[in-house]
Amino acid sequence: MITFDKVTKIYPKNWVALQDISFEIEKGEFIFMTGPTGAGKSTLLKLIYKDEEPTKGTVKVFDQNLRLLKKNDIPNLRRKIGVIFQDFKLLVDRTVEENVAFALEITDFPPRDIKKKILDVLTYLRLSHKKFSYPYQLSGGEQQKVSFARALVRDPYILLADEPTGNLDAKSAQEILDILLDINYKGTTVLMATHNQNLIKKVKKRIIRLEDGKLTQ
Amino acid sequence: MALGIGIREGFRTITRNSSLFFLSLLVAAISLFLLSIFALVTVNLYSLVNVLDEKIEIIAFLEEHTNAEDLKTNIIKINGVKDVIYISSETALQNLQKEMKETQEVLKVFEDNPLPASLRIKLQPCYRNAKGLAEISEKVLLLKGVRDTIFGGELVDQLKRITNVIAAFDIGLLLIIVLSVIFVIFQTIKLTIFARAPEIEIMKLVGASDSFITIPFVFQGLIQGIIGGFVAFILTTITVHIATSFFQNILFPRWWFLLGNVVFGLIFGIIGSSIALRRFLK
Repeated sequence: MITFDKVTKIYPKNWVALQDISFEIEKGEFIFMTGPTGAGKSTLLKLIYKDEEPTKGTVKVFDQNLRLLKKNDIPNLRRKIGVIFQDFKLLVDRTVEENVAFALEITDFPPRDIKKKILDVLTYLRLSHKKFSYPYQLSGGEQQKVSFARALVRDPYILLADEPTGNLDAKSAQEILDILLDINYKGTTVLMATHNQNLIKKVKKRIIRLEDGKLTQ
Repeated sequence: MALGIGIREGFRTITRNSSLFFLSLLVAAISLFLLSIFALVTVNLYSLVNVLDEKIEIIAFLEEHTNAEDLKTNIIKINGVKDVIYISSETALQNLQKEMKETQEVLKVFEDNPLPASLRIKLQPCYRNAKGLAEISEKVLLLKGVRDTIFGGELVDQLKRITNVIAAFDIGLLLIIVLSVIFVIFQTIKLTIFARAPEIEIMKLVGASDSFITIPFVFQGLIQGIIGGFVAFILTTITVHIATSFFQNILFPRWWFLLGNVVFGLIFGIIGSSIALRRFLK
């Protein structure tokens, strides 16, 4: 599903974010990516949804070399990948429902089915009673669930989560992990970046460890 | 993507960011208003130059008992002559009396009308200079029945030089103003779009295509431009209305100004927002 082959990413001013990284993620896997802040976790995720280009090496997603992907095809790639961020990245001037709807409106999803689809996802995340709330009216955990809803509403093949529990208390973090495990159970490949060792210890999953841009495990 | 969603998103952009929208609308309106005022000055300056130019003519005084009609036909045949108007001595007297009331007493001294009949010779545009005037005047003097001619001569050339300098200066200034207006409008639009950079970033991450992101902003720019242009037109109309009490005969081609303001506003709005967005869509 995702292949990194000798990938190096060097940012301007010679800052090496990733160095000679190679690994493969199979369809349906659940993987933790861990390492200290600045180890290159976010950069690695950005390479997968083509927000950054590798300096050297090849990144393949869905068996496609992303270097050869045209600019016009990037939106299509991103529609198949759900991304969750530590800071939620919600549109602050839109309600929960509108935030989720946005993810569908930009695709070819039939407009008349949008409300039904959103309700299904919000119900699954136990958030349907908040659908008319704005992000600032929600707790951190709830906001993170909205960003989950936005990602899940398109039934993504891959879900990337960049420190999704970073801003949350232990209870909300556990809830988020449970959601991720459940999504994975239903068939979505999940790659979760975190340095929350407690969460990693709770479930036995493959771990990718990064340190100073190098793969250590 | 459906254009409908783009326009709906455009309206959302306007209503949810109304203060930014009105700020940049105001900037567009004021800039276009300044441009209109300057364009108005230019239009009037050029019309004045044209009026002055039209007034360049040769007056040929006739001998008594000359057949004016024959002379007129001969003069009109001369290269560079556009039109010839006959002023009889009676008409000349009436004109003088009309123009200068105080001369009536003086004129009473004369038993007869002392003013000769004359022909006002209008010239083609390329002959409206000292050389052309002299050339045609020479030919007219050769004709039988012409006693004398008068024309501006060197004064005409001096006047032309001055008007040309003013016109060139005016066009230069107009160009600078146009560029400044474009710059100010573009910068303002850029600021309003930069203020929403995080939102654009999120849209991109979620997989919105460039056109999905662009259409609402361009729509906003378009609305802003049209309203801004319309407001500028209203301000210009009010200004012209006030100015008419100080200057008579202000030339104000109303519909051209309305069209110009709206079209300029619209083009600036669309191009400005497209250029500002390009930075985000690289």
